[in-house]
Amino acid sequence: MRHRFAHTSIVIATLVASAQAADAHIVASRLGDFYTGALHPLTDLQDLILWVAMGVLAGSLGAAKGRWLVLAFPLGLLAGLILQRASGSVSPVPAADAGMILVLGLLLAASARIPTAMLCVIAFGLAVMRGAANAGDVGPDTNLLLFAAGLACVGYAAITLTMAVTLAFRRPDAGASMAWRGIAIRALGGWIAAIGLMMVGFAFAS
Amino acid sequence: MSFRIFPHLVIALAALALAQPVSAHEQAGVAGGLASGLLHPLTGIDHLIAMVAVGIWGAQLGAPAIWVLPITFPLVMAIGGVLGVLHIPLPVPEVVIALSALVLGAAVAMRLRLPFAAAAVVVAVFAVFHGHAHGAELPGSANPLAYGVGFVVATGLLHLCGITIGTLTHWPAGGRLIQGLGAVIAALGCYFLAQSLGAVA
Repeated sequence: MRHRFAHTSIVIATLVASAQAADAHIVASRLGDFYTGALHPLTDLQDLILWVAMGVLAGSLGAAKGRWLVLAFPLGLLAGLILQRASGSVSPVPAADAGMILVLGLLLAASARIPTAMLCVIAFGLAVMRGAANAGDVGPDTNLLLFAAGLACVGYAAITLTMAVTLAFRRPDAGASMAWRGIAIRALGGWIAAIGLMMVGFAFAS
Repeated sequence: MSFRIFPHLVIALAALALAQPVSAHEQAGVAGGLASGLLHPLTGIDHLIAMVAVGIWGAQLGAPAIWVLPITFPLVMAIGGVLGVLHIPLPVPEVVIALSALVLGAAVAMRLRLPFAAAAVVVAVFAVFHGHAHGAELPGSANPLAYGVGFVVATGLLHLCGITIGTLTHWPAGGRLIQGLGAVIAALGCYFLAQSLGAVA
């Protein structure tokens, strides 16, 4: 059993260590813009922090409240993208992004029991902001429909998976012995809020 | 039985030898910013020992300090970070940072049991000065957001390290070991204090 584990570990380590530049045919084909839309937010640290913070916040509030975001978040991304393309003048505001990181972090750290409607409004607002920010980087040759589909799909996947992982980790019904998990999530909120606070300061300083 | 691992090792070595550079999409300066943020609290010994001492002291004090600390400390430190970003000077920062190692080390060595509010104020004051030192570096980093993520995570992990060491207090010998560690931190704090005052080179 131990040898099987060692062999599997070696194979996995080998696969990871020997990763090469991806050059799949499908990216260069007609569907390439779908992958551009899906990968664009994943290569932006701002998106990663905000999306993870949103997912963890929703997950920490429970499945009943969080499940609305499965729809609200991708729809918000699409709304932001459409808004940016329609107006052409919506550009990302660094202070707004930083402020949103701070707010999400504070809500997590305080373990605030925010109502479902408020959670949906925050998630939708955040998604609109980030959808518009992502749309700002779309080139003239990009197929907007495919880009939007990729963005919405990755938004759906990211928020759903983050909520699910948080719910599984939190296990609110596990009793006092698992109380440290709630504290760990609140500590993560403290870290996120600290990052947001500094970025707010930086946004105003620059 | 052990010979069965050789084919896998050969495959592993062959695959590693044939590996090529990865051309992943990367935001400008993220890796550099993250690395410098992560390393900043770790390469300054005065920062490092003070952060670990905060964690140990929190563990010694028990609830609620042990769980309030990791939640609020980064936030208070970020206030100092903002002052640093905005280039708002603090009085004698090097002296206060050295003093933080001395005071927190002494608190651990003496198992000082201050009321929670008083302990929180002591830690908060020092947190602002430590955050100021980190924050002053932020605007010049390759990616400020990545730098912020790096130094907050590094500081949080140092606390966690301190809290983990602090769990040794559950055993009598562990408690004495931790007090000894506190004395070492205080002694280092004395050295840094003397250095910041110009008494030693």
